[in-house]
Amino acid sequence: MNSSTKKWLFIKYSSVILIPSMLWFLVNLVSIYDSNYLEIVNFFATQPSKTLFSIFIVFAFIFSSLTISEIFEDYIHDEKIKNAANKFVYIFAIIMPLITIIGIFNLTL
Amino acid sequence: MKYKNNPLTPHLQIYRWQISSLLSITHRIVGVINFIAISLICFWALSLLLGQANYEITKKFLQSFLGKFIIISLCWTFSFHVLNEIRHLCWDLGYGFGIKTSKVTGVIAIIGSFVITVAIYLLGRNLI
Repeated sequence: MNSSTKKWLFIKYSSVILIPSMLWFLVNLVSIYDSNYLEIVNFFATQPSKTLFSIFIVFAFIFSSLTISEIFEDYIHDEKIKNAANKFVYIFAIIMPLITIIGIFNLTL
Repeated sequence: MKYKNNPLTPHLQIYRWQISSLLSITHRIVGVINFIAISLICFWALSLLLGQANYEITKKFLQSFLGKFIIISLCWTFSFHVLNEIRHLCWDLGYGFGIKTSKVTGVIAIIGSFVITVAIYLLGRNLI
């Protein structure tokens, strides 16, 4: 399979998973964003929200990094800058959810 | 297959603005905003590790008018992105390519994003 086709399929599969998980997260975000510390820790530290939030950020970063690389493809002329920008976004999209998941799995009430 | 001299997307000022181009560029801008927003949400979750005393500043900011405005705005950017992505998925399945259908679904995506934002806010605050 062509690498561009694989990328396109990854974008589409991740978007299908992202749609319900994003709606779930938004409703919960609105309900807890101004709560006190313990209520927010309770949300992130307990199941099923801990697992669902982890799934949400993993797919959000996969989807975002792949689609942003398409924007770079369309608007950045210089190949070197484009490659560097793509690498930065891909590395950030791996490290950020990884650190966050490790962080919330270490949160205790 | 790699093309070294791919034509780049024409600059925005070349387009005659219509609903399809408006939604296309808004989808991309909103996508970048959402990427930044998700990163900030991760930092917000990680800030909890610093303890209750250090969280007070974040809490005060989120309880302020600006904090509420940002949260509601994010509800809209995410809602718009979800609806427009559903539109894209329909196109990928071969539906909705007609000019009239495309315009109608575009209008639905815009109006629907505001409706979903209100619905998410009311649901999240237990008002419905």
